Formats: sequence, C-alpha cells, structure tokens
Amino acid sequence: MTGKKQDAAKFIPPNAYPQMLAKRDAAQALKALQSAQTAAKAAVAMQACLAPMREAVLAYVGELERAGSDMTKVFESAHEIRGIAETGGLITVGRLSENLCHYMDAMDRMGRTPDPAVVALHVSAVVRAAKSGEDGMGAVVTAELSALVARKLGGLKAGQP
Amino acid sequence: MSGAGFDNLKTLIVEDNAHMRSLLRALLNSAGIKDIAEAANGQAAIEVLRERKSELVLTDLAMKPMDGIEFTRYVRTSEHSPNPFVPIVMISGHTERHRVEAARDAGVTEFLAKPITAQALFARIAEIVERPRAFVRCESYFGPDRRRRLTDDYAGPWRRQNDFQEVDVR
Repeated sequence: MTGKKQDAAKFIPPNAYPQMLAKRDAAQALKALQSAQTAAKAAVAMQACLAPMREAVLAYVGELERAGSDMTKVFESAHEIRGIAETGGLITVGRLSENLCHYMDAMDRMGRTPDPAVVALHVSAVVRAAKSGEDGMGAVVTAELSALVARKLGGLKAGQP
Repeated sequence: MSGAGFDNLKTLIVEDNAHMRSLLRALLNSAGIKDIAEAANGQAAIEVLRERKSELVLTDLAMKPMDGIEFTRYVRTSEHSPNPFVPIVMISGHTERHRVEAARDAGVTEFLAKPITAQALFARIAEIVERPRAFVRCESYFGPDRRRRLTDDYAGPWRRQNDFQEVDVR
C-alpha cells in the first residue's frame, strides 16, 4: 500500500436512475429502430438531404480555397467539409479533408506548424475533387496524400526535420 | 397493451451546422421521434435544457462558444443540471483517439463518427434503449461506466465496492 487515498467509486446500476424510456415503451421503440419501414423512411430522408448537403460542402470548399495561409481557417473549413461531405455523396472530398484534418491535428499536438506545401496539396486536391464531381482519380490521390502525411508524421516522430 | 415507443420522447439536437441538424431531425423523425428541440452550441443547449425536459441528447463536438465536451461535463456534473443521467450521443468528425477519449471522460454515453448513417445512429440509440449503462461517481468522474469490456489483461486497480459482485461490464 502506498498510503495514498484511493479515488473510491460509487456504482449506480441502471435500475437506480430514471431511464430514457419506460420498459413497455422500450420494446416498441426497439422494434421501430430495427424495422424495414424505418430504414426505408430514413433512406428517403438521407436522399432529401443530399442536394442541400452537397451545396453546403461546395460553399465550405470555397471557404477552404480562400483561407490561404490562415491555418485556423483551413482547419475549420476542412473540419466542416469532412463532417458532411460523404453524407452529401462527395466521398473523395470527405476523405481528403479527413486526411488534412488528421495531419493538422497531429502537427498541432506535436507543437509544430503544418508544412504549407502539404496543406496546399490537400487544399488543391479537395478543390479539384469538388469541382470535377469526383472524377475517378480520387482514390489514387487520397492514397498518395495519405502516404505523404504518414511519411511526414513518421519522420517527425522519428526525430527527422 | 403495446407501449408508446418514441412518441413521448423529448430529444435535443446540439449542432452548429444547420444541414446536419436537419438531417438528424429527419432521421429521428423516420424512427418516430418527433418531439425535438435544437440548439446551435453547448451554451444555447443549456438554456434549452433549463426550460424543457430532454431525455435524449445528440451533440456535436466542435462548436463555439461552448463545445460538446464542455456541455457534456456541465450536464453530468453541474449542480444546476436538470438531468445528469440523460443519455448523450456525441456525433463528430473529430475521430482522433485523444478527442474520443476526452468525450468519454466528459461522460458521453455513445460516440458516433461522421459521416453519419441512419443505421449507425439507430444502432447507438438502440444500444441505449436495450443496454442502459451503469453510472459511476468518483472524485474525478461522473458518467456512464467507462469499462465497457472486461479484458483478461486489465492490470489496473479494482476499486469499486461492486467489483467483486456480478456486474455487467461487457
């Protein structure tokens, strides 16, 4: 024993606090969540959101393009894009933005400034993918940029400049 | 007699992106969840919680002026919180490990990564309905039990009174 006071925990079982739903409502709710009818309605809902979502992504891509060397704005725009792009059907745009966010977040955690060239490559790839409507080269470009980011971050972790 | 399902469930969506709010509302509607309030950030959500009971909260992570982590911490630990036990599903594009851990340590019930799908959202809600989590209160944490899985190689201390009783830690 170290003699240090332990942070004793009190365990509160589910039956000791108010539940989201009463038991008889829960069964009905589960049935609704798992039904084919709900899945079909949800698919229609997703479909209806596709066009406005895509428009919003394109607006954020414009913001990303205009962000220039302002890394805070670049990250904020890329973050918004990665959140909704794939839901809006822009898969490559979403993945490239995800990659950019991952890189910038990792650099921030290491207390480093992101390499402007890596950021610029991502931004131009996002803009191109958004404007071309995902031309089929997306997977290749995404893979190449992911490899670049992995190499950059791996090098920094290994102590290379 | 069959139950009312989600008919009376009061839900709160906290999300700064209007498109995402619309999508979440539409998906919840398709499952029969109709009584939905919305807020654009954590601070606005606290105001909503004060005025309206909420039994399920879906929240984004990155928002200004108050983000989802701070909001969750408020709900779980503030003496003014109307319901510290309310299930909170955090929905975020910030899927880096440290952020997910921060969300967990603030007391979220479930974490859902963007891009969202109806299937994933409904699975998280079903999990809350079907397997409600035990809560843990200690000096440094209040929220759903963070030990969701019992691993053979767990080397940490067993400090809870109930640790040696039969507890569903999945």
